[in-house]
Amino acid sequence: MLFTARCLWLALLAPAAYPADSSLSITIYTDDLALVQERRDIDVKGGRQRIEFEGVSAQIRPETVSLTAGDISIVEQNFDFDLLTPAKLMEKAVGREVTIVRVNPATGAETREQAEVLAANGGVVLKIGQRIEVLRDDGLPVRVIFDKVPDNLRARPTLSVTIDAAHAGTRPASLSYLTPGLGWNADYVALYNEADGKIDVQGWITLTNSSGTTYESAQTLLVAGSPRQAGSPGQQFGSPPNGWHPPGRRPTLEQAGTESGSRERLGDFYLYPLAERTTIANLQTKQVGFLDVHGVPAEHGYEFQNHWLGTSDQPQSAKSTYRFSTSAHAGLGDQLPAGILRFYMRDKRGEPQFIGESRIDHTPMGSTLSLATGDAFDVKVKAVVDKRTRIDERDWKTDMRYELSNALPRPVAVTLRQDGLWGDSRISAESEKSTRLSADTAEWTVSVPANGRTVLTASFDTRF
Amino acid sequence: MAARRLRWLLVSSAASIAGLVLPAPSESQNSIPDAQTDAPSAVSVTLYRDPYRASGSIMLDRLNGFALITETRAVHLKVGDQRLRFEGVADGIEPESAILTGLEDGSLEKNRDAAVLSPSALVAAAVGKPLVLARTNPRTGRVERVSGTVESDAQGGVIFKSEQGIEALRCSGLPETLSFEGTAGLRSHPTLSVRVRSRRELSATLTLSYLARGFDWAADYTATLATDGRSMDLGAWITLANGNGTGFPEAHTQVVAGRVNRENGEVEPIDVGGPIVATCWPRGSTSDIPMQLQFALAGADALKKRGVMNYSAVAPMAAALREVSPPRAQQEQLGDLKLYRIPEPTTLASRQSKQVRLMDRAAIPVAVVYGLELEASENPHVGGAMPASRYLRTMNTDANHLGIPLPSGHIQVFAYRQGRRLLERESNLRDLARDEQVEIDLGPSSDVQVGATSTGRRHRIEISNARAAAIAFELKLRLPDGMRLADANPAPGTKNGRPIFTLHIPPRSVGVVSYRTSSSP
Repeated sequence: MLFTARCLWLALLAPAAYPADSSLSITIYTDDLALVQERRDIDVKGGRQRIEFEGVSAQIRPETVSLTAGDISIVEQNFDFDLLTPAKLMEKAVGREVTIVRVNPATGAETREQAEVLAANGGVVLKIGQRIEVLRDDGLPVRVIFDKVPDNLRARPTLSVTIDAAHAGTRPASLSYLTPGLGWNADYVALYNEADGKIDVQGWITLTNSSGTTYESAQTLLVAGSPRQAGSPGQQFGSPPNGWHPPGRRPTLEQAGTESGSRERLGDFYLYPLAERTTIANLQTKQVGFLDVHGVPAEHGYEFQNHWLGTSDQPQSAKSTYRFSTSAHAGLGDQLPAGILRFYMRDKRGEPQFIGESRIDHTPMGSTLSLATGDAFDVKVKAVVDKRTRIDERDWKTDMRYELSNALPRPVAVTLRQDGLWGDSRISAESEKSTRLSADTAEWTVSVPANGRTVLTASFDTRF
Repeated sequence: MAARRLRWLLVSSAASIAGLVLPAPSESQNSIPDAQTDAPSAVSVTLYRDPYRASGSIMLDRLNGFALITETRAVHLKVGDQRLRFEGVADGIEPESAILTGLEDGSLEKNRDAAVLSPSALVAAAVGKPLVLARTNPRTGRVERVSGTVESDAQGGVIFKSEQGIEALRCSGLPETLSFEGTAGLRSHPTLSVRVRSRRELSATLTLSYLARGFDWAADYTATLATDGRSMDLGAWITLANGNGTGFPEAHTQVVAGRVNRENGEVEPIDVGGPIVATCWPRGSTSDIPMQLQFALAGADALKKRGVMNYSAVAPMAAALREVSPPRAQQEQLGDLKLYRIPEPTTLASRQSKQVRLMDRAAIPVAVVYGLELEASENPHVGGAMPASRYLRTMNTDANHLGIPLPSGHIQVFAYRQGRRLLERESNLRDLARDEQVEIDLGPSSDVQVGATSTGRRHRIEISNARAAAIAFELKLRLPDGMRLADANPAPGTKNGRPIFTLHIPPRSVGVVSYRTSSSP
């Protein structure tokens, strides 16, 4: 019984997975937030004392610090952010004695004197014996030597904890805190093979550290999500919530998946642990691979969306799109953390060249993604409002003409969308059959011959 | 149970220190050895335009395009963990885009360190570590070396602690300097490194590719109109520029036309460091009236400059335009983009712009058209005439000796006058595909003026031609929703859903358009 109890206590302080001396684990969320947990052996004397922690994040959120160790109680936790500078040093020396050393510019001889600092406002006023002098008023060299650094001035903001220990001795302690300045996202590289319409995809986790501190040999866990509530402290102003698209941004997730993988979760967030301990240096960008799949079928297409009453004198390029699945049998077979997917394609010499990129949100397994990489040089659409007729007081008839041109030596199919059809509107005539994606949007799939043109016309009856 | 717990804790001996400071964990991973890498054997640079510029030329002080840089180099690996350092990558590197191929076991991790070696970085790295302060006596020249530690470098002021006490660097007026032990692992440029693990000793050829900012390119066209004005010669240069501090010697160079999507992700800032500013306490003297509070302004300025990539040192663009210059860039299809390959390897030096011939086509038939667009229902220019615009039009077809993709850029139109080739107009071109109409804006013409008069719903538009030749004129009208034209003379056509009047106006005469606007259905 007694033996069991002792083992339990050991397990609480130093679980088997961590060596007892010094171990650091970092959990990084996607929204510029990280949880740092450290286990160190601390050596304390009995009674009240102050412990300073070096090497914690320079951007630490001091209110989140928690220190636990055996047989100690925390009296108070302090975060000193008054920095040690020459001006501060002089300010804190007001009313105290300093040593001044004058160097004679003619002989080089040194003279030492004791002086009391009377003031440090704009200039330093000293009392030397019964004389009052302004420091270096004559411009001659004078060294000022202080005997100690004031207590709460530090080179870096410093965390200190005052503890009351029941007895002296070394004991393991664990420290945890939250800090901004550490973040991660995913980066994907997709190489599209035009001949067989397949992509090879590599996924990389990209970690960035601008917290001002280097984390040595840390066990790192990445969480695809943010535990922060909107508007909570430290939330960056203007950072959009997950899945929010700025106006005009094209949605990428065509169909959300319903497959679950073997990946571990925290709540509804997926976890991506790094396989090995790693050192995350300050101002470092670090990448570790997590996905490598080959030969995933991808469908290349063209897309053009016209806004309601959108009309132009010049042809506009259609968007070049790639569509693929993330399902386990015919796709990438993993949950994709949010990030940027960069597309490459081999040129005539076989060298991979960049052809555009697109941002994706956290994507469940089994989803269909449709990503736009840029504008097609050769496939263009000119949408024209041909005629707008007032039928009666409330009703309008709008004749649209879409001229699609293709300068490629092969036929293409363009997905053409007309939006802004909300409310009571219908298509009274059209040269090709449309499908209504929603009350707002009609879609046509228009084939355009090689080096040719196709004209599509449609009439809309609307109340506006 | 509680007693047992206490006893166990007491087993470890107690050595109590007053102001206990816990050291940071040991620097274990810095001890990974560097593997030997050779200099790059082949470099390829593919430039992409500023994705937000639809037409026009590049600006050397605002190179918002980017490049894909691919380099090949040999490495020699030992057994175990090691670090491959890639020196000389572009400063504008987007580290998250780096791809490394050719390693049989793959890489453990890729790192980009943005902390670079600078005086301020040296001091920052030396805080709390032993170093030497050298102080020179100005009279005797004797150098006094004091061992101690830097206590702080906060806000640009350096506090030094030695056996003598605590002092602030360079506040005494004596020449003082710090000498450091080692460079704390910092390098002069941001470095990209890869941690790899090899099971055996081997030599491998690695290919590293990455995207980097601070590049751009555009096409610069020169059109020369024939004396009769019915045809033109069209030539073009590819103007490309590298705004990075890194040069690419003997690089295979390509440019890509077409707009590619870019997510405007933030690039981690580079800490470019700064001088040791050694700010002091207030140094006002009795002769300073009024009292000036001199705070650490110098330090604040140095901080402001951090993280800014400065391209201001770019040399002005060479305006040389030679008439004939093979070799030309060769075009190929890259997905939905156009890739132009510069046929010979070329050196793309740092902060340099370069021009390579793109095309030369002669005797392209063109038409000069005058035109203006007006609101149909209101008098556009009360009390006076306004000049019409002049356009140069052609079709990008084989029959017109063109029929090639024309990447966006800038165009200069020249015409011969009295045997001299003079610049007539500068304009911009967007991306033009094969078989698309090419329209070059030649600017307003003072010889062709348009005046409009309105009486109620009746409108009369007069176009005066002061030229010695007949002109073709196009009047385009903008109609508000539900409005239509009636009693129009001459009969209008329709272009892009709008009424258009096409007129042939003889030399030195006036063409007239009249119509009525009507809102009834």
